[in-house]
Amino acid sequence: ISGLFRNVVGGKTLTKQDLDKALKGMEDHLLKKNVAREAAMRLCESVERELIGAKTGSFQSVDSIIRTGMESALRKILTPTSSLDLLREIQSVTSPSITSLQKPRPYVISIVGVNGVGKSTNLSKICFFLLQNKFRVLIAACDTFRSGAVEQLRVHARNLKELGEREGGYVELYEKGYGKDAANIAKDAVTFAAQSNFDVVLIDTAGRRHNDQRLMSSLEKFAKFAQPDKILMVGEALVGTDSVQQARNFNAAFGTGRALDGFIISKCDTVGDMVGTLVSMVHATGIPVLFLGTGQHYSDLRTLNVSWATNLLMS
Amino acid sequence: MVLQDLGRRINSAVSDLTRSATLDEKAFDNMIKEICSALLEADVNVKLVGTLRKSIKQSVNFKELPAGVNKKRIIQKAVFDELVKLVDPHAEPFKPKKGRANVIMFVGLQGSGKTTTCTKLARWYQTRGFKACLVCADTFRAGAFDQLKQNATKAKIPYYGSLTQTDPVIVARDGVEKFKKERFEIIIVDTSGRHRQEQELFDEMVQIQGAVKPDQTIMVLDSSIGQQAEAQSKAFKASADFGAIIITKTDGNASGGGAISAVAATHTPIVFIGTGEHMLDLERFAPQAFISKLLGMGDMQGLVDH
Ligand SMILES: Nc1nc2c(ncn2[C@@H]2O[C@H](COP(=O)(O)OP(=O)(O)OP(=O)(O)O)[C@@H](O)[C@H]2O)c(=O)[nH]1
Ligand SMILES: Nc1nc2c(ncn2[C@@H]2O[C@H](COP(=O)(O)OP(=O)(O)OP(=O)(O)O)[C@@H](O)[C@H]2O)c(=O)[nH]1
Ligand SMILES: [Mg+2]
Ligand SMILES: [Mg+2]
Repeated sequence: ISGLFRNVVGGKTLTKQDLDKALKGMEDHLLKKNVAREAAMRLCESVERELIGAKTGSFQSVDSIIRTGMESALRKILTPTSSLDLLREIQSVTSPSITSLQKPRPYVISIVGVNGVGKSTNLSKICFFLLQNKFRVLIAACDTFRSGAVEQLRVHARNLKELGEREGGYVELYEKGYGKDAANIAKDAVTFAAQSNFDVVLIDTAGRRHNDQRLMSSLEKFAKFAQPDKILMVGEALVGTDSVQQARNFNAAFGTGRALDGFIISKCDTVGDMVGTLVSMVHATGIPVLFLGTGQHYSDLRTLNVSWATNLLMS
Repeated sequence: MVLQDLGRRINSAVSDLTRSATLDEKAFDNMIKEICSALLEADVNVKLVGTLRKSIKQSVNFKELPAGVNKKRIIQKAVFDELVKLVDPHAEPFKPKKGRANVIMFVGLQGSGKTTTCTKLARWYQTRGFKACLVCADTFRAGAFDQLKQNATKAKIPYYGSLTQTDPVIVARDGVEKFKKERFEIIIVDTSGRHRQEQELFDEMVQIQGAVKPDQTIMVLDSSIGQQAEAQSKAFKASADFGAIIITKTDGNASGGGAISAVAATHTPIVFIGTGEHMLDLERFAPQAFISKLLGMGDMQGLVDH
């Protein structure tokens, strides 16, 4: 590292030349952490902009100045600008305050993403979290394409029923088999949930390639029919540069006036300190990370701790 | 599609250089820089890109190029050779033989496409006259057996699995034994997704392998994988010593450089690529043909003595 991060000590006004080499080293460092090149370059540029013309303190190396600059740039990009208190939001919909004049209704969350990233599994983890908070949850099996998708959710619903009832929650599966239109099933599930006093509807969807026009465009109808309060996209920590385009294309798929509300970054337990995907996806869209998936069990769901992520990325 | 964008960029970097009026060292360095940027954006392992940069520089050795040689050809060939080296480890994959049992075991990370690809491959051999079948040794993932069963039924391929036995080692052994007795020629064993950070999962994989003694173990890799590709594939190689790689989801937008890095890291050839979610979306893979097509180097064939 010392070869890349050239050290200049003390009391100097920084120029582009002083920073260039060390920033290149920093960019490489981020690439190794699986940050997409586009995001890594933008972060380095923002650090450069901050630092050109700044005066170094005595005994301060360019290396350490850039580290500090990058740390705060990462913190800034990862810190959400609005509150992400999901439970409060749900409550405000399921039991609105009298002054709001809203009628109570189920809160609808739908999960989208490319193939195999962990949509159904992380939906089940969110369900477990909601059951622990004593909600009544309806899971809607709207992946009507992939073999075994419905049975997969059936197994989860059965397991969660057992676990959840111990916690004081309740869960049921809404399924209509294979081959039918997902948007219609989603709509019916929401209607059913309203009639049967459910608090939350969790809608699973089929995996789709973000470059498949036909499958992506069906998401617009889906959002219109299901009217989700939250659309969460699952992005996988293993994915490289494609994460940027995945995030952008899904964010643009729901028609004008509707965007993604948050990311779930899954499989964080499989990448060690290479957690760059979360930076790439937030960089691409400005949409916050709501949850991290950290394993294959129901309790393996975390909220994002910005310091934890920053430390891993800088290590 | 996978690597297409990369190919286009590399190709244009090379032809920009060779077309420019002054082919000096600075222009050469710029070309290498552009190629390396393209590789990094395609998720090729960062260290590997460094090595490749050095190799091209060394094999061209621009300073020492004597006057009068065809610089263009030398540079093109150096780039081409390095890229072929990336995807072609010169290792011969296993070839199943008719009239005996060939056991093939699938391994890989969670969600990479193993179960889907198992059926595709069984079908591939079935249409080529082999008696093929499937064994579901994934007893962990919810709905795994239903998934395999539904796929197998659609493709009319016999399958084995258990709804009650939770030990994948036992299911795998029983399934393979049963099908061997019934004289099946291609027996494909599907396993759960796993990753190197969980030793227990790796131990389980080794135990399944010990129980079914596969003639070939195949690692399935998602074409969108990034910088973890090298570490994960090396760990799978060290534990399961897979002899072939299948890259899936190449119908997506990913460049596939991570998967390519796994090939380089494990010296293991890609044998098939998955090109969609349907049963027939499987293609054979041939590294050199792939690279020359990629680089639009029809005219390169004469230069290359493979
Ligand atoms: N290690 C790890 N594995 C995970 C995590 N989340 C999901 N998985 C695994 O990833 C695989 C795919 O998960 P699914 O939930 O079926 O993925 P999906 O996105 O619904 O897949 P499709 O519906 O086929 O597109 C399963 O083996 C899961 O157990 C995680 O956070 N960590
Ligand atoms: N677009 C596309 N999707 C694919 C391809 N191969 C598999 N998939 C999809 O990827 C997802 C995951 O595939 P699976 O076969 O379940 O993956 P797996 O490796 O068995 O997953 P685990 O058993 O949970 O580890 C499914 O939605 C498949 O339909 C492919 O070549 N192209
Ligand atoms: Mg699913
Ligand atoms: Mg599977």
